[in-house]
Amino acid sequence: MSERVPVNPGRVEWAGNNPGIYLRDSADGPWTALAVYFHIVLSPRGRGRTMIVLGEPDRAEGLAANNVCLTDNHDLTRYLLEGFVSKFPSFRGKAGLDAMSWHDLERVHIEDALPARYTMSAAAPQVQAVMTLEALGEPFPVEVTPETSATGAHDMYSVFLEAKAASIAVNGTRLRGRVTDRQFFGKTMSTAFLALSETWVSPLAAG
Amino acid sequence: MPLKTPINPGKVVWSGENHGMLLKAAPDGPWTALALFFRLYYSPAGSGTALLLYEEPDLAESLPRACNVMISDNEPMARYLMSDFVARLGNSPFGTAPAFPAVQFVALEESHASGDPGSRFSEVVRAPGIDVELVWDGLGTPRALELPKELTGGKENDLFTLLVESRRPAIVLNGRTLPGEPVARVQAGIETTTAFLYFSETWIAPG
Repeated sequence: MSERVPVNPGRVEWAGNNPGIYLRDSADGPWTALAVYFHIVLSPRGRGRTMIVLGEPDRAEGLAANNVCLTDNHDLTRYLLEGFVSKFPSFRGKAGLDAMSWHDLERVHIEDALPARYTMSAAAPQVQAVMTLEALGEPFPVEVTPETSATGAHDMYSVFLEAKAASIAVNGTRLRGRVTDRQFFGKTMSTAFLALSETWVSPLAAG
Repeated sequence: MPLKTPINPGKVVWSGENHGMLLKAAPDGPWTALALFFRLYYSPAGSGTALLLYEEPDLAESLPRACNVMISDNEPMARYLMSDFVARLGNSPFGTAPAFPAVQFVALEESHASGDPGSRFSEVVRAPGIDVELVWDGLGTPRALELPKELTGGKENDLFTLLVESRRPAIVLNGRTLPGEPVARVQAGIETTTAFLYFSETWIAPG
């Protein structure tokens, strides 16, 4: 679509919240730790929650490298990995994504202390993973098309809150790296964010 | 607005889920029961869950005679929604019914969602002496909407939302199904009903 229209004619893929934290040692260095959390309220594979943490994104190992996936809906998570996460620029081609160990998510605890802090704690029998966003900014609405979306294939509506600081921990160990700046549609923004009320839509095929 | 501005210059008012049902015994009759459910992830008054229920919309009374109540786990948020959202919904019966000014605020004890918006979905809300189950059945295809303020009830703020219509809703209060059925309505040119799930809903004050 070249213009915003009231009723998107495309097929809704999923809706939910989708915060992320991407860490590295320096602004031009490789990612040292990546984490993304999905709370999906609508999808063709049902509802569910998934936390993916890559403690060593470029290493083809699972729990030993803190490369883990905690999920309460494996089918939904496979759908998200295939169509979305594996296409996100920060996760694309990462050996840790294919090698990560899978764990049955038992519970998630969200601590909402906006704007100071927003914490997501996920627990499975062998793994506890915690994503913490701090010093969050004002929310702003975002709408992108396939040309600018993270997958290169979808329309996407969302609300973003930038976090000036963030951390990821697995089984009590804080993962390496820090938040850095990136360009986000002409705006300098950090690599940690709370993304709320997202909707991803597959546009209708041309013709 | 052209899509060359993916970051919307407007200000987020609130964001979350906003499911509802407006029921009548006859298409040209009065409203017999109304329910509006909120699960907010962001608002100026914080996050939380709330249910506005009018057991008797035409009665300017609340408990104990009529369960015309606002149940929530965040009363400041609930009061914000009543004053800044419900009261400004134009000619919506939620803000114009005799029950509106009589509503009592009640503390929520428990709430949870169940089912799936692809088939049958429900929200359960409990408070002392009040047990409510809202059921949306006969669900339609999800549709992503982006409405300019002119196409909204309040005509004040723009709206991103994800509509799933319901043809067979029910409000079950303390084991009793309240009378009425949904009626036809038109939203942004879509012929739909007065029973709806709205996920990923974000209200935006135009910038």
